[in-house]
Amino acid sequence: MNLKNITADKLVALYKNRDLTATEVIKGVYEQIEHVDKDVHAFLSLNPERALAEARRLDAQIAAGERLEPLAGVPFAIKDNIAIRDLQTTCGSKVLEGYISPFTATAVERLRAAGAIVVGKANCDEFAMGSTTENSGYFVTRNPHNLDRVPGGSSGGSAASVASGTSLIALGSDTGGSVRTPAAFCGVVGLKPTYGRVSRYGLVAFGSSLDQIGPLSKSVREAAQTLAIMAGFDQFDSTSADTAVDDYLKNLDASINGIRIGIPKEYFIPGLDAEVRARIEAGMRVYESLGCELHEISLPHTEYAVATYYLIATAEASSNLARYDGVRYGQRRAGNAPLQEMYRRTRADGFGTEVKRRILLGTYALSAGYYDAYYLKALKVRTLMLKDFQKAFEHVDVILSPTSPTVAFRIGEKTSDPLSMYLSDIFTITQALAGLPAISIPCGKNSENMPVGMQLVTNHFQESLLLNVAYQFEKAGGFTV
Amino acid sequence: MKINESDVEYVAKLAMLEVGPDETKALAQQLSRVVEYVEKLNQLDLSGIAPTPQVVTSGRHAVRDDRVVPRTGSSEAGRTVKLFKVPKVITER
Repeated sequence: MNLKNITADKLVALYKNRDLTATEVIKGVYEQIEHVDKDVHAFLSLNPERALAEARRLDAQIAAGERLEPLAGVPFAIKDNIAIRDLQTTCGSKVLEGYISPFTATAVERLRAAGAIVVGKANCDEFAMGSTTENSGYFVTRNPHNLDRVPGGSSGGSAASVASGTSLIALGSDTGGSVRTPAAFCGVVGLKPTYGRVSRYGLVAFGSSLDQIGPLSKSVREAAQTLAIMAGFDQFDSTSADTAVDDYLKNLDASINGIRIGIPKEYFIPGLDAEVRARIEAGMRVYESLGCELHEISLPHTEYAVATYYLIATAEASSNLARYDGVRYGQRRAGNAPLQEMYRRTRADGFGTEVKRRILLGTYALSAGYYDAYYLKALKVRTLMLKDFQKAFEHVDVILSPTSPTVAFRIGEKTSDPLSMYLSDIFTITQALAGLPAISIPCGKNSENMPVGMQLVTNHFQESLLLNVAYQFEKAGGFTV
Repeated sequence: MKINESDVEYVAKLAMLEVGPDETKALAQQLSRVVEYVEKLNQLDLSGIAPTPQVVTSGRHAVRDDRVVPRTGSSEAGRTVKLFKVPKVITER
């Protein structure tokens, strides 16, 4: 069974009409995984017994004529930094090899209550630190559109799974673009909600002032449906927002005639690939034809985004990752050595190179004598970026840009130069620093047949407008621009 | 600012990381490049600008009621092997 040509809403309708059983679909998913995942490597671990048991239970409910939940029998892949009880949670790190979660993340719990079936845990860069999934401690995930290319990261397994038809919808996490970049590189939809919109209880912390869980899917409607179920206050996450959750699905069909779209001039820089630029400009024409107004805007502090992000995110990470000390989670080395030596050996063996680099950078930025010069300074520049957006949203409703300056690059192309890898995140970082919702949607392909992603951004908690504007593009055939 | 090998060793000690001598040199070079790059923030006049440690998007930042609820699964945490077992802290000199 190939899930490439079907979306969640259609699948649930097929169940309702009894044209398909969930058992057939879930069995088909595992056949597809066996068929393609030996090349794509999207999954770190699979959950077949439980998934098939859930499918059989659903089939019994369908036979009994029970009302179906909105995601009934929809196969999900979950990024391996999101906890699910009784399943391994490694975050793509050797330090957590064999660690079994004692509880389930709120986002996953809500999806399961809505009928979702988790088929497996998706590969990612170790602790979500990376832009290509090459930093996984286990193996590299490959781009289903071209196996020699990266799938993007850090939620590369999630994106590659959706794109290769081994799940219908996947969850990722976005700290500086980790949902949006892989969505763009794999030609799927990837949504980062407003900071605080989706509970992070059960999401393993990387950059606590940035992290958000978001869905990856083939259609905007599926993203809206998934967000509608996950969003909302959770007493188990102290940063969870108690802002009302809009009816994202109902608003998809609203007209976008007269919507003001801002085009930030700082994103159309010399480093932007000419073909990506051409696809995005074709996307702008689609919006014009739908009655939207295009306005050039300025986000003047964009050029400082990478520097600001790599100070704040690494500082937070150096603190968050202190807990992997061989005592409470996962692996332990030198168990008979004195405590501090055990800590150091466990961490030296367990963490990969990029994670060590970021812990060291973050520790440096927070250390005595450098706190004011680096970390505090970055927090102040973040204020300027937030003000850039606030000013822009006085004049426009949505901001449109490329998601990434290039299409997916070759595996190994940037691994030797960490700074050039960091610079590839330039378009997805400022929204994370400002806590804004953003979506990457497919915007055609380049001459090498690689997908191009277009990013849309709205003000805090305006996911309803964001999804509406994205959906109208999809409906107008924009994906094939 | 250049980060030299002894800076790497010092920071590694603070971060409880063991870094091999071969790694130290490469890390010093890579971190120097990143630190030199982030120093572009010095171009900005930040006087009078307040820091934003977190974008606060909601009035209620949850402090949940102080009562035991079943959901965290903490009672089952002990199933994970080696959990909470700590080697000796005080060593003889």
